[in-house]
Amino acid sequence: MTLAIVLLALLASVWLLAVTEGWTTTGRLRPAAPLLSGLAHLGRESIVPRTPDRVFFETAPVLFLIVAVLGAAVLPLAPTLVIADLATGALFINAALAYVLVAVIMAGWGPNGAYAMIGGWRFLGQLIAYAMLIVMPITAVAMRAESLVTTVIVGSQGSLWNIVYQPLGFMLFFIAAMALAFRAPFDLPIAAGELGGGVDAEYTGVRLAVLRLARLTLVVTLASAITVFYLGGWHGPLLPPWAWSLIKTLAVAVSMLLVGRYLPRIREADLMRWCWTLGIPLALLNIIVVGVLVLVVP
Amino acid sequence: MYAQAFFVAVFGLAAIGFGVVVFRTSSMVRSALALLFSQTAVGCMFLAMQTEFLGVLQIMMMATEMSIMAIFMVMFMMDPGGMGGMDMTHQKRFSIGAGVVAAGVTIVVAFWVDWGPVTVEAPDAAMQTRALGMELLGRSMLIFETAGVTILTAMIAATAVAIPVQARANKGEMESPE
Repeated sequence: MTLAIVLLALLASVWLLAVTEGWTTTGRLRPAAPLLSGLAHLGRESIVPRTPDRVFFETAPVLFLIVAVLGAAVLPLAPTLVIADLATGALFINAALAYVLVAVIMAGWGPNGAYAMIGGWRFLGQLIAYAMLIVMPITAVAMRAESLVTTVIVGSQGSLWNIVYQPLGFMLFFIAAMALAFRAPFDLPIAAGELGGGVDAEYTGVRLAVLRLARLTLVVTLASAITVFYLGGWHGPLLPPWAWSLIKTLAVAVSMLLVGRYLPRIREADLMRWCWTLGIPLALLNIIVVGVLVLVVP
Repeated sequence: MYAQAFFVAVFGLAAIGFGVVVFRTSSMVRSALALLFSQTAVGCMFLAMQTEFLGVLQIMMMATEMSIMAIFMVMFMMDPGGMGGMDMTHQKRFSIGAGVVAAGVTIVVAFWVDWGPVTVEAPDAAMQTRALGMELLGRSMLIFETAGVTILTAMIAATAVAIPVQARANKGEMESPE
């Protein structure tokens, strides 16, 4: 039952996000557009390029979707509304999302196309930049909660949300999450107008539909992770806990899209330099500050 | 208990299966990712054996490590896609001999060693994580810190070795790679 509710919530969030994205892009609010677009993809021919690595080509979109959903499995919507309340939840979401990289590399290498391959390897470079900024802020979150269990992490924010307790960690994690979801301005693996679609370039029809669904699901999963780790999860007045979780998740997801609309695409080398020379020292500082706060403030 | 043994066996066989694929394919990326999935299967074996933290850590670490290995293999191997028909094997007889001997020794050790009594009830996952943390910050701290500093030193040294070559190339002292 919990599984069905969480999956339904995930699907509904993806749909709302797709509608919002369409609304901000075209200026028209069309609730049926994502469904129609999906059906149109199903109706189109799904072309297989010449001499592909067939196993990678077929596996990549499915693996991408599975890991995006797996990441959401440990994120609670309400105190009891979580698919798997693992003792290592905060670590598990890292493990699941690490396979996004594997899926993107597969999608890049599989079709045997130059643009796709460059897109795939670019994402590996991107990972070298953002990976530590995902893990280190989560370390500070776990330090405050004294647990890796996601429900305990939300519980630890009852009096004060982590966005106030550790704002530096929130900013770093937000940026790293956008890089992980390769949304603009970190959309180097796709790079429309420069790489001709990158890892998406050789995919058509049903495979492209799965790939796009997976990418939107990943955005929702990451927005949910930000909600759980920094925005107090289900905490909030009047409304039921699950409603707060959904509202916050959608607000974060929309803010991720909005930020991307007003910033130019960042260069790979700049991203790497800023993450390593500025991001990681700041993440270390965040860990030290949180450590002192945990020990000093009762 | 039987279900646990069944899943350990299934993931163990999967690990061996993917391990075989590593050597059966000519594509460097396939080879690297087959090794990744072999290691992921080992992580799943940890999970089946109720060691949650180690399992999840193994699954997480291998994804990035093997992907990085894949790009290095693509950069340095002459036929990374395996489509040029190049034979990249050598010393076949020696390799087969060494493989058979190593497998034999492993099996003998596995059956001869007294592994002690089987743990009836594993502590819950949260307790295991706590115990592991205490171990890492207690008795084993010196070992892990030494290993960490050594790896960091090697990384800095490797970067330092790489930079002057690039700098010289830029000044025209060395022939440019292009």
